[in-house]
Amino acid sequence: MNIAADQNQSWLEQHTHAPVVGQELEWLKNLRAEALAQFKQSGLPGIRDEQWRHTNLRALKSNLYAHSHGSSTKVSATPNSTTRLVFVNGHFAPEQSSLHESDGITVTDLEQGCRDQSLHLQDHFSSTLPTQQHGFTTLNTAYCHGGYVIYLRSGTQAASVLEMLFINTAQDDDSLTNISHTRNLVVAEANTRCRIIERHQGEDGSVYLHNTITEIIAGENAHIDHYKIQQDSSEAFHIGGVFIEQAANAHVKSHNISLGGLLTRNDICCNLNGEGGHIEMNGLVFGKGRQHVDNHTQVNHLVPHCSSDEHYKCILDDHSRSVFRGRIVVAEDAQLTSADQQNNNLLLSANSEADSKPQLEIYADDVKCSHGATVGQLDPKSLFYLQSRGIDQQSASELLTFAFANQVIDRLEAECVREDLTKLIGGALLHELEDLL
Amino acid sequence: MLSIKNLHASVFDTPILNGIDLQVNAGEVHAIMGPNGSGKSTLANVIAGRPGYEITAGSVEYLGQDIAGLEADERACEGIFLAFQYPVEIPGVSNMAMLKAAINSIRKYRGEAEITAADFLKLIRNKAELVEMKQEFLKRSVNEGFSGGEKKRNEILQMAMLEPKLALLDETDSGLDIDALKIVAQGVNALRGEDRAIVLVTHYQRLLDYIVPDFVHVLSAGKIVKSGDKSLALKLEQEGYSWIEDELQQAS
Ligand SMILES: Nc1ncnc2c1ncn2[C@@H]1O[C@H](COP(=O)(O)OP(=O)(O)O)[C@@H](O)[C@H]1O
Ligand SMILES: [Mg+2]
Repeated sequence: MNIAADQNQSWLEQHTHAPVVGQELEWLKNLRAEALAQFKQSGLPGIRDEQWRHTNLRALKSNLYAHSHGSSTKVSATPNSTTRLVFVNGHFAPEQSSLHESDGITVTDLEQGCRDQSLHLQDHFSSTLPTQQHGFTTLNTAYCHGGYVIYLRSGTQAASVLEMLFINTAQDDDSLTNISHTRNLVVAEANTRCRIIERHQGEDGSVYLHNTITEIIAGENAHIDHYKIQQDSSEAFHIGGVFIEQAANAHVKSHNISLGGLLTRNDICCNLNGEGGHIEMNGLVFGKGRQHVDNHTQVNHLVPHCSSDEHYKCILDDHSRSVFRGRIVVAEDAQLTSADQQNNNLLLSANSEADSKPQLEIYADDVKCSHGATVGQLDPKSLFYLQSRGIDQQSASELLTFAFANQVIDRLEAECVREDLTKLIGGALLHELEDLL
Repeated sequence: MLSIKNLHASVFDTPILNGIDLQVNAGEVHAIMGPNGSGKSTLANVIAGRPGYEITAGSVEYLGQDIAGLEADERACEGIFLAFQYPVEIPGVSNMAMLKAAINSIRKYRGEAEITAADFLKLIRNKAELVEMKQEFLKRSVNEGFSGGEKKRNEILQMAMLEPKLALLDETDSGLDIDALKIVAQGVNALRGEDRAIVLVTHYQRLLDYIVPDFVHVLSAGKIVKSGDKSLALKLEQEGYSWIEDELQQAS
């Protein structure tokens, strides 16, 4: 047996006590078996896989993982009227969640959702995933044990923000590392609207691996805002995927904010399947310490008259590193496509590093595509200008850094998120200036 | 107030200033003229503490203190202000935010309480009126998309807000039409006072019709080669700089 096969076997052994849900559902059982077979073939990705060349998984692979069966972790109470589901180590925590059911909208956890035959999740589960899947995705399908399900029936709008809180903790036994696989499904029928805020958190310093996938199926003229705000522990591993399918005139916004995690990898993919579709992808990374954040995005323009608008900004301090790979594919039939992609990186330290890899593949001839990528430092002229007005260097740097981040923050419509980010990125000075920026 | 002795300075290791002596007392207005590349901006930037502009010999004293060891922001907090020849655009930071941060930073340095939101708004409205700047400019990003003249007026607004003791204006008059020039002069004259001093770097005598200087100095090749009163500026305007060069050659 070679080392890789050995390792795959060991990974599977670590999952023998995985608390999978929905075992009684034939369709799910079959999906899981299929995914497992695929995992046995491919194993986890490694440095030799082109898509993972820059993602060093050595530390992740060196841990011995175990599942946690829930935990007593408590979160602060939700503001009234907000729908919030809480997942601790991937397990739904109903006693901490607050649900505001309304006609035409189902918000529930994965287990309930799969059992609810009126939702027909068998038609949607894994339907957005690409045919070529990496090992984390197949593992997720095989072992997911929690997550949220949002189902919007034709013509309904969610009255409030749907907040999804994922809390992960360390194992009590520190020779073991906590692992959780979560799968989320958003199915929006025609003419629906909702805003989902996923928050990923963990006590700082705790080590865990959270492997999480969100599938979004946007029907005709569905408007979906999806926020992913990742503030995991600075020692945590976060492997995430957001997979989006859009029908005609659907408008989806994917906002991907990475502030925490030791290693973060996100794959965000969108298929524009119907004319008039629009996808906006915004990303913000603020790396510190030895954080590594890897964002891979892909937009497939498959039909005419769709647009995509992508803005990713990375701020990197200390020894942090980011990789951005943004792939835009415009199929031969996808005439009159409009696609814009911008990736700007700000290095705050001589030891930080940013890689930017825009990839445009255009097979149609009547399209408007643009892209830009920059890597730079704070402008010394701007710093001196602010200092010459009496602002100390630290504050001047913070002000300029925030100004950089604000170009993405400004694009976020959820005010609560803008406020949070202003506090988190801007620090005290910016908080005081907030209303003036 | 400002006492410069035998100042030699380099810009990123290139020697530019070659022994400048200049004494500016409180209440005075000094004009510094001279051909392009003679070192006027370098002098202003050295006084303001721009990184990379290094004093290699001589000294700059401000209010009796050698300022070589002070950072640019400390000098600003001590009351030195530089109106830039080329004001910098800062997307994402509004004029208001920058000025509030600046005022509070200066107040903190002096051990004073932060300005209240209401006082700040009152102050900035007053000063914006003085330089005839529309309110909407205050909310815009610093200098972003401003015309040349608007940028210069914005420098004067900032000066008026920060009320420096020593104001250095680097070609604030360049590229201004006569109305804008009058507004700039109005801002500068409002600042004049017994305990303040102003150093104007300019190419044109016309600014000096509105801001009458007590002294005029001519800078050439990093040195002050001639000093006089307002009439020197008039003569320079009419005859250019060549007669000074001739005078210098004859003397040597
Ligand atoms: N950043 C710089 N690096 C090297 N040389 C510079 C720099 N800035 C200015 N200089 C040089 O210093 C000299 C004086 O420039 P400056 O002070 O801007 O002159 P003035 O303002 O009188 O036109 C010029 O020869 C110019 O080329
Ligand atoms: Mg100059």
